[in-house]
Amino acid sequence: MGEQVLLLNRQPDRPLSLEEYRQSGGYEALMAAVGKRTPEELRQLVLASGLRGRGGAGFPAGKKWSFIGKGHPRYLIPNTDEMEPGTFKDRVLVNVNPHLVLEGIILSAYAISAAKGIFFIRPSYEMDAELIERELGVAREAGFLGENILGSDFSFDLVVHRSAGRYICGEASAQVNAIMGRRPHPNKEVHMTDAGLWGKPTIVNNVETLACVPAILRKGPDWFKGLARSKDGAGTKLFCVSGRVNRPGCYEMPMGTPFNEILDEAGGMSPGSELKAFLPGGASTSFMPPKFSQVQMDFEPLKETGNRLGTGAIMVFDQNTCLVGATLNLLDYFTRESCGFCTPCREGLPFIRDLLLRLEHGEGKEEFIPMLKQMAHHMFKAYCAFAPGAASPVLGLLHHFEAEIREHISQRQCPFKGK
Amino acid sequence: MPTLRIDQREISVPQGTKVIEAAEKLGIMIPRFCYHPALGSLGACRMCAVKFMEGPVKGVEMSCMVEAADGMVVSTTDPEAMEFRRYVIEWLMLNHPHDCPICDAGGQCLLQDETVSGGHGLRRYQGLKRTFEDQYLGEFVQHEMNRCIHCWRCRRFYQEFAGYFDYGAMQIGNRMYFGRFAPGPLESPFAGNIIDLCPTGVLTDKPSRYKGRRWDLQRGPSLCLHCSLGCNLVGSARYREMIRVEARFHGAVNGYFICDRGRYGFAYANHPDRPRQARVGEEAAPLDQALKTAAQRLGQIRERYGPGAVAAWGSTRSSLETLGMLQWLCQDQGWRGPQFFPQASLARRVKAAVARLDTGMAVSLRDLENADFIVVAGADPVQEAPMLALALRQAARRGATVAVIDPRPVFLPLEYEHLPVSPGDIDLCLNLLSQAARSEEAATGKLEPDAARFYGLLTSTNLEDPLLQERLLALGRKLQDCLRPVIVCNTDMVRETTPARAADQARLLQADKGQAGLFYLLPGPNAYGAALLAGREEVDLLAAMEQGGVKALVVVENDPLGSCPDQERLLRALDNLELLVGLDYLPSATAARSQIFLPTTTVFEKEFSHFINQEGRLQQAVPLHQGGTPIIQVGQGSHPPRTFLDAIPGGEPRPGAGILADLAAALSGEPAPPTAGDLWDYLSGEHEGFSQLASLTASALGEGVHLLPAEAQEPAWSPEPGEKPPEPPAGQLELLLVDQTFGTEELGSYAAPLQKVEEEPHLLLHTDLAADLGLAPGEQVALLLPGGEVTVRLQTAQNMAPGVAIMPRHRRLHWQKTGDGPVWLPPENIKKLSEPL
Repeated sequence: MGEQVLLLNRQPDRPLSLEEYRQSGGYEALMAAVGKRTPEELRQLVLASGLRGRGGAGFPAGKKWSFIGKGHPRYLIPNTDEMEPGTFKDRVLVNVNPHLVLEGIILSAYAISAAKGIFFIRPSYEMDAELIERELGVAREAGFLGENILGSDFSFDLVVHRSAGRYICGEASAQVNAIMGRRPHPNKEVHMTDAGLWGKPTIVNNVETLACVPAILRKGPDWFKGLARSKDGAGTKLFCVSGRVNRPGCYEMPMGTPFNEILDEAGGMSPGSELKAFLPGGASTSFMPPKFSQVQMDFEPLKETGNRLGTGAIMVFDQNTCLVGATLNLLDYFTRESCGFCTPCREGLPFIRDLLLRLEHGEGKEEFIPMLKQMAHHMFKAYCAFAPGAASPVLGLLHHFEAEIREHISQRQCPFKGK
Repeated sequence: MPTLRIDQREISVPQGTKVIEAAEKLGIMIPRFCYHPALGSLGACRMCAVKFMEGPVKGVEMSCMVEAADGMVVSTTDPEAMEFRRYVIEWLMLNHPHDCPICDAGGQCLLQDETVSGGHGLRRYQGLKRTFEDQYLGEFVQHEMNRCIHCWRCRRFYQEFAGYFDYGAMQIGNRMYFGRFAPGPLESPFAGNIIDLCPTGVLTDKPSRYKGRRWDLQRGPSLCLHCSLGCNLVGSARYREMIRVEARFHGAVNGYFICDRGRYGFAYANHPDRPRQARVGEEAAPLDQALKTAAQRLGQIRERYGPGAVAAWGSTRSSLETLGMLQWLCQDQGWRGPQFFPQASLARRVKAAVARLDTGMAVSLRDLENADFIVVAGADPVQEAPMLALALRQAARRGATVAVIDPRPVFLPLEYEHLPVSPGDIDLCLNLLSQAARSEEAATGKLEPDAARFYGLLTSTNLEDPLLQERLLALGRKLQDCLRPVIVCNTDMVRETTPARAADQARLLQADKGQAGLFYLLPGPNAYGAALLAGREEVDLLAAMEQGGVKALVVVENDPLGSCPDQERLLRALDNLELLVGLDYLPSATAARSQIFLPTTTVFEKEFSHFINQEGRLQQAVPLHQGGTPIIQVGQGSHPPRTFLDAIPGGEPRPGAGILADLAAALSGEPAPPTAGDLWDYLSGEHEGFSQLASLTASALGEGVHLLPAEAQEPAWSPEPGEKPPEPPAGQLELLLVDQTFGTEELGSYAAPLQKVEEEPHLLLHTDLAADLGLAPGEQVALLLPGGEVTVRLQTAQNMAPGVAIMPRHRRLHWQKTGDGPVWLPPENIKKLSEPL
């Protein structure tokens, strides 16, 4: 299983308390940093650690922080929108150790000199929002949050903001729009780090990313890098395993752990199931056939295969699952969740979905295949990363499972019907 | 200046130019839906994809989102880009109904054009089209949401550009809906622009629905006459009926947009009661004959009483041709006048304003958008000149501070500071603002002597309300740091001193900061021209008629009975006349009362006409059709729709200038009065403001010419800036007669579409004052004026000056019961008549 950093002391039925967290070194990093180290030092340490964003894009966190604009107040937005299908790591993380998350947030806020944090959480995580709100109070009482943290001149406070609940709200600029009460459209015209929330410098980070910060500061960037098993990787990763496995769940394993080891950790394939395909990082990544089961689960190795680590949410499909049907299911979701801003996403996804629906119902035609290919490729010319993400499983299906599509066409029905 | 190559052609463009704009300069029109020059880039429709072959950007990207850079090589015809664009069109057409044959946008539809040019001809999508329920959006805009391609233009204009928020986007994905939260009339007086902006038939022009395809229409460049701003229009006529008006781009005046008053006010030209036939007494007569009779009768009166017994009264809605000819006629015949304004005091205010404009001071509506501090004195932009409000909003969006000094509860669709003071305090507010804004340099005497002396003369009386005083001073301190201030001043409800005072303060700011602008609002589309023609001489025809010195009055495109503030007095004066000759195209009270009536044409008919807007810009309106009664009115909808005659039914009316020229010929017995070409020569000698006219080329006239002098006629500072204008007697209220967006403006009040949207007229009092008088909003009250009683419903407001009562000069209100100048009233003159409705 490897060293546990984020899920250390995980209890099966309850979150760790402040005291429990402190017994294992909790808030030590904060005490050692605030007022003792400069924000610049913190940014350098995180940059040196090689920590990359865990929300899906994998952007180096220290680099993002280095872009922070000059203005004040600055905002830090811990992103717990977690709308990617198959992904539930942030929820597990918050529930296992809320104070680790909070310490990570406070340290990061210090590193970018943020005055206020907005904990953006999806509405279906109401219990978790309440948990964070409660533990915020505990941290505030302990002097870790609020005015003059630990007697220093650093003040920072955090509020919980419940999203109205849309996939696109997970995108940083859309999230900022959502908090401001605007339509949650992505905005590529402005740099969040200069003119984000209310036009002020803003950093949006996934909570898993932020939760890595205390350990990096306590044990050093080299230790953090050493946790990974891949060449350029760093740290551990929360992998959410779902599908035809014996023990679906969230596992913390070294970054770069090969897929098959993670599958083993999740108890292997369920009885009678054979691995047919998996999605390595959530619904917006591409299907991979079993020949990739040795692939190291990290940003770079997956990129080399033409795929993405995404959120590290692994979905496992067996020989009895129709992948056309599975893709259609994913496209149902993406078609519904498109914000509607740009044409390829708003109109192109429903078209792709319609073709898949016809294939699945046995109404497919040969000419659908080139159309699907062209349209899926054109999704990469949409405004934001939503449509490319939605197109990824379609491209995986076309690339690795075209034969299965043709079976749908030639048999004039789904070959898995009745199996 | 980055240099790039687009489709093998090189072009250099200013830094910051988007590739789509650079291509346009080469004449390459990259397809687009969401991009609009006034709204900027968005990147939503993805239609303008091109391929970047070389340079800092590579691959297929949106040309509206990428700034031109050195070394770029762009292909608009690359197969990958073209295939993508073809798909974009196919996607946009997935849900678009194939209802072009019954869609009003058919033939003027960007989506049609780009579907064809993009190469999408065969429908491959087999799914159902999504459908929406349409909404009632008021009398102007027809909603047909199924046609929507979600380009965002309407929402971006409505909310971001114009600042109204009752229309927008709802839902997500392809369920996204553009409309209102609930059906209802659009609140913005700029709503009609979303029709022009819509690239397809979602938002169409309701009054002109089903009235003709674009190629059926007689279209041409025209001008808006519904306020003094002179917005440019494209007018469309068909079957002798004015069908529709759209905005025409003018870089210095209205940009791409117009207001709804300008868009739907044209319907006066189709008024069913429009007098199209000449009349002598009660009898209809051919125009020539009526004209001869008029000349004969006028000649007789002149002979019997002398030339001064004939007077002429024009108005500011006439073309420069008509005004000039009227002026010439008066001079030629020795007639009294012409008078161009309804009251002497208004004429003085307008002349004071016009005399203070020069090329160094006057700013255009577009210049105003680049100001960083704007003081609006005595004006309510949305009500009086709506497009001014839109320009103010653009300035505010760029960071300008906007301060409105006006007694009314002014609303603007932007962030602004409103100081509700009575008209008598506006001058003082301007003084205080100048003083608070005084820079170090100015304070230490670095100004030119005249300006420094003027500073010295400014009094420092405080405003009665300390809170207002403090806000004003805070604004003044803000003004200190601004570099491009502009003073906007109206000439309508303000004191006679105010237009000059606004100019003084603007001049002072200019002396202090090196740059400052002055922007007036004037009463009527040709008030500037009228003020120049009127010269320094004061004409008071009403008094002359009362004294019996005037025996015949020629009223040209003017309705004194509708505009004179004291109607009773005017009626008595008209009774003294032996002859009233009327020329007009409106079915006005004055036209009806005329003993001899000669019908004139509107700006849309027969001949070219010119108007000078409030910043001295001479602009041209091209005739769209030959006039005549609309076929729909002649045929009453029956078949055949037309009767076969050798003349156009109702086609007799002629331009006012032409009728006046013939009248002059008939009066003098000479065949050739000055014709249009000579008229320019005549005018250029008449006033130095017109000196350019003699040498203008046809193309210059077409584009519009700034007639401003290099130095204002009256550059001097007001001698006594500290002088306080007349104050109301203690305890009395000042009655303010004001304009409303819809319902008070003369031409628009004859337009059926505008009549549908005008608000019910109200008397407006401060909430506290109404409470003191025991009156509640909604009650019917009787307002006792010098000339009689007005019955009107009461409304109250908090954000208005306390000592005023405000009443619109509404066509449905008998407001003409006051006199010239400020009207003071004891509060007891407002009495409750009935409970609220």
